[in-house]
Amino acid sequence: MSELLSSAPRLMLKGTDSDLGGGTITSVVITGVVVVFIGLILLIIAVSVYGKIFHSLNQRKDAKAKAEAEAKIREAAKGAPVPEAKVVSNTAAPVIEDGIEEEIVAVIAAAIAAMGAASGKKLALRSIKTSKGARSAWANAGISENTRPF
Amino acid sequence: MGIIDSFLDTMADLASQSGFAGFLNDGGWKNIIMILISFLFMYLAIAKGFEPLLLLPISFGMLLTNLPFAEMYHPEYWEYLENVPERTGELNSHFIDYSRILQHGGLLDILYCGVKLQIYPPLIFLGIGAMTDFGPLIANPKSFLLGAAAQGGIFFTFVGAALLNMTAAECGSIAIIGGADGPTAIYVSSKLLSKTDSIGVGTIALAAYTYMALVPIIQPPIMRALTTKKERSVVMGQLRSVSKVEKLLFPILVTVIISLMVPSAAPLVGMLMFGNLLKESGCCDRIAKTAQNELMNIITIFLGVSVGATTRADKILTFSFGKVILLGVIAFSIGTACGILLGKLMYVFSHGKINPLIGSAGVSAVPMAARVSQKVGQEEVPTNYLLMHAMGPNVAGVIGSAVAAGVLLSIVQV
Repeated sequence: MSELLSSAPRLMLKGTDSDLGGGTITSVVITGVVVVFIGLILLIIAVSVYGKIFHSLNQRKDAKAKAEAEAKIREAAKGAPVPEAKVVSNTAAPVIEDGIEEEIVAVIAAAIAAMGAASGKKLALRSIKTSKGARSAWANAGISENTRPF
Repeated sequence: MGIIDSFLDTMADLASQSGFAGFLNDGGWKNIIMILISFLFMYLAIAKGFEPLLLLPISFGMLLTNLPFAEMYHPEYWEYLENVPERTGELNSHFIDYSRILQHGGLLDILYCGVKLQIYPPLIFLGIGAMTDFGPLIANPKSFLLGAAAQGGIFFTFVGAALLNMTAAECGSIAIIGGADGPTAIYVSSKLLSKTDSIGVGTIALAAYTYMALVPIIQPPIMRALTTKKERSVVMGQLRSVSKVEKLLFPILVTVIISLMVPSAAPLVGMLMFGNLLKESGCCDRIAKTAQNELMNIITIFLGVSVGATTRADKILTFSFGKVILLGVIAFSIGTACGILLGKLMYVFSHGKINPLIGSAGVSAVPMAARVSQKVGQEEVPTNYLLMHAMGPNVAGVIGSAVAAGVLLSIVQV
């Protein structure tokens, strides 16, 4: 970096120079582009390095939290070993169609869990696929609005 | 009779002192043209919605300054004088007599001090920083490259201006239009231009803001011409989420690295990042809100109206104005093209994971340029959301053009 900056004084142009030689112009362009790129590349390195650091820190934290949660589940399981088999069967991975993002799956799963908790039933998510040719959410809302018994 | 005579005399005096008489003076017709142009800009701002927040103050400043004898702005006060201060004993050929301006200046002269002393642009940057989310850039640091590439327009235009035999200060000021960043353009040009130059800060600012308003018109044809249908249809996945600590550290890191490397970029980058730190810290909500709303609005009014005031007919209706407009659009187009070309390169290296369209967002013009990327991308694949990916190069472009401004300032000496 320092070499680049120390080469700058040779390039200094007077604001009033109107006849800039070809060499000067080329060196202005090259220095300019190079300095801008070096500056931003330095930032890329810095940002990705600390991004990695935080990522690994977070992962470690996550792993710890996971381990703790697992330990808790195991303890709970020891206390009540009966429903274990059921849990396994319920958590069989649901069939998810390609192209549906994880977040959407999570949202649907959460909605179903909330419904289950509200009605006191145990519901499981078996598969998610995109519906074809179905009514839009708005159309459904309109129909349920119009057909709901008084 | 005496009463009628004195009445007529007074009326004649009043008439000759009125602005109408001023139009009949030497060169008064130019003022009429400028006033008509200001009406055109007002129309564009109000009816067409071209950057109205800036164009309206600028056009009203144009109107006020071109009214003869209104004395709100005095271009002659702002000409550099030659002065030998007793303290140093050295000739200072860039001397401005601020005491005269403070004593005799009009309202717009006083407001223009903030432009000439480079106070407004960094304060605008403070507000921009407080509004900007650097998350997309932190999540995908490679965007910095696109932000740097789009600054290529600045340096190529420098060549073009030099070939047209312009002075180094003029070259630098015109080239910075390619950064598509109004405050940066004003910052650089007010620092470089002097009375020996044929263009003024107002010209540069007008050109810069005009092109920023025209981003949605200028960019898409270039973007379509340089990319294939396949490249435009690349769908990019979700960005990773960025933790709060990362967002907090980012402004500090950028300020330190950039200011150490290009010290003359420190006022712009420093204030931008200060604003961002205020926002991300979460503990200075009141200050952050002031920076992004009230302060920003106040400065926009001052900046707009005083930059508009510099467009006095005798200063702006010159041949050089045409050159600025021409070179400005070239600067802008090359910047867009450079961003897209590097985007294509990254498309190849990432094995088709990066959509080259986000490259054009590397010219700053936040968030307009990113929106253009999104729109052009959606023409191919309607479900493609490039906006957040384009915001990365977009905010990197702001940093990049501030760095480029610093480089220009340190190369071209006033």
